[in-house]
Amino acid sequence: MTNTTVEKSAVLSEFYGRYKKIIIAFILIILLFVFGEIIVSNFFSIGQILLTIKLASFIALFGLCQMVVIAAGGSGLDLSVGYTATITAVFTASIMDGMNGNLWIAVLVALGIGLAVGLVNGVLTAYIKLPPLVVTLAMANILQGAINVYTAGANITGKPSPILQVLAAKSSGIFPNILFVLIIIAVIVMFLLNKTKLGQILYGTGTNETAAYLSGVDVKLVRCTAFIISGVLASLIGLLLIGNMGIAFKDMGSNYVMPSIAAAVVGGVSLTGGDGNYIGVILGAIFLQTLTNLLVALGWGDAGKWLGFGIVLFVLLIVYVGNRRSK
Amino acid sequence: MFIAIAILQKNFFAMKSIVRNFNAFIPLILLTMGQAIVILSGGLDLSAGTALSLFTCVLTMVMKKGVPVTGFYALLITLGVAFIVGIINGIGIGYLRIPPVIVTFATSYMWLGAALFIRPTPGGESVDWFKAFYNFGSITGVSPALEAFGKVIPPSLILLIIGCILWFIVSKTRTGRYIYAVGSNNESAYVSGINTAKVQMQACILNSLFIFLAALFFVGQNQSGDARLGDPLTLRAVAAAVVGGIALTGGKGNVYLALIGALILSFVNKIIFFADIPYAFQTLVSGVIIIVAIASSQAYSLYSQRASLKESKLS
Repeated sequence: MTNTTVEKSAVLSEFYGRYKKIIIAFILIILLFVFGEIIVSNFFSIGQILLTIKLASFIALFGLCQMVVIAAGGSGLDLSVGYTATITAVFTASIMDGMNGNLWIAVLVALGIGLAVGLVNGVLTAYIKLPPLVVTLAMANILQGAINVYTAGANITGKPSPILQVLAAKSSGIFPNILFVLIIIAVIVMFLLNKTKLGQILYGTGTNETAAYLSGVDVKLVRCTAFIISGVLASLIGLLLIGNMGIAFKDMGSNYVMPSIAAAVVGGVSLTGGDGNYIGVILGAIFLQTLTNLLVALGWGDAGKWLGFGIVLFVLLIVYVGNRRSK
Repeated sequence: MFIAIAILQKNFFAMKSIVRNFNAFIPLILLTMGQAIVILSGGLDLSAGTALSLFTCVLTMVMKKGVPVTGFYALLITLGVAFIVGIINGIGIGYLRIPPVIVTFATSYMWLGAALFIRPTPGGESVDWFKAFYNFGSITGVSPALEAFGKVIPPSLILLIIGCILWFIVSKTRTGRYIYAVGSNNESAYVSGINTAKVQMQACILNSLFIFLAALFFVGQNQSGDARLGDPLTLRAVAAAVVGGIALTGGKGNVYLALIGALILSFVNKIIFFADIPYAFQTLVSGVIIIVAIASSQAYSLYSQRASLKESKLS
């Protein structure tokens, strides 16, 4: 009798230890909703929750890019994701021109852009050993410059293909379609990272690069590949983004960069690498979107959003990453 | 560094235009020197640009046009804000030992949000004598002697001299040595009894003061505040410091050489400007130059490191 309770509590505490950060993220979301319901009426309703999830799914998708790069270690972060998505959307808009037949060309272009951006980021960080944040920030500048050049000559024309619009903007019943896309991606990611060797290699490199190197893993290649994956994913998200918005414009993706990193941190991805659960990142994205909704409902707009995100990220960094020297 | 010198040599004859263009270079130079100090102490400040914007917003919020005394209040209050900015960054980098890039990335959004609260769109007002930080001649009723003096030594140069004196004094104190020690090896510095957290915080506060000087220049020039003013300057300051030979790993380099790095980068931008490249291309080109400059400096130092390792093996 006592034995089983001991076992039960052991299992519970192990469960708690493993998913502590995810549980915290979940509690934070509930708290925000309750808080929002008290201040703003009709905040805690099914419609509102579904809308929040729909808006949060893009943050969550970009968060996947961050998670892969962060998990590979080497204090990796990718600040260029939003800009990669924008440049893909801007370039493919005229290619697709509202027709499904041209979608495959658009996908090829997206893959090409993502591969190129990811490769440059990866080589500069993994092989030349530059700080990832500086490299990807510079890459973001370059991409924004390229977008400016492209849009200075002519207006951005073209529309996304209907398939993308169905995937990203429409709903089936009350559920937005993007939610299903997110769920499918989440399942694939969870499978790849938890059930195949890929996950072991990625997390192993992040946890202890010397150990990974000694067990025959090409650490530089893994980190470079992580950036390539991030670039390609970001580029494909750009296609979904244009599907959602219906048109492409100059800074459609740049506002997702900061939230995607914050979502990863809120979701419990350890910034030192070797860790990360995608469910946590999704919860982090929902938390940030709820916070945005609340701040917008309070009428604090853009300033409140950035200030709030900054403070949330700072506080969570203190709690999760802070490493005070014991006196 | 060789590439950097080659770039400098190519437009050496343009040196006489330095004085004329000094005003355009000064904000980047000041930001680079501040950034260099932080990098030397083993940190990196990605919030410099938004901190600059925040300072201009605070300055123009406090000042009332036509009431000269509000200028002094603005100076004092913004100086206080500068200290707070430095202390918060310092707590994150030094005391809590969060990776500097990510903690200043987070704080940069705090400054941006605060600046947007004060000034959602560019604007604001400034007292007349604040123009002294840009050009003595533009102030109404200034004495001719001061105006003539301003033509020889522009106010921006005085700001730079203030900055240089500031660093000169600090570098002669114990703190100056400690900054290098902490930057090159945090652990051994700590074990030898240096309060590493305090030193890194001091570096952050120094950086904040340099940003404050740059903010004075901008408000003197524009007479207004802008929450988006500093965004592009952050990365350029980091790049300039690297071009000036500051190692991103910390502890290696010279702040005055970083100043030269900022000059080189400014010259390159000047060349782009003169080369009649369409405006739209300028962000693209300067972005490419920044990444090439950082990458080549780093590749060169990696190469020389390996060479010195080989040499030591041979002997």
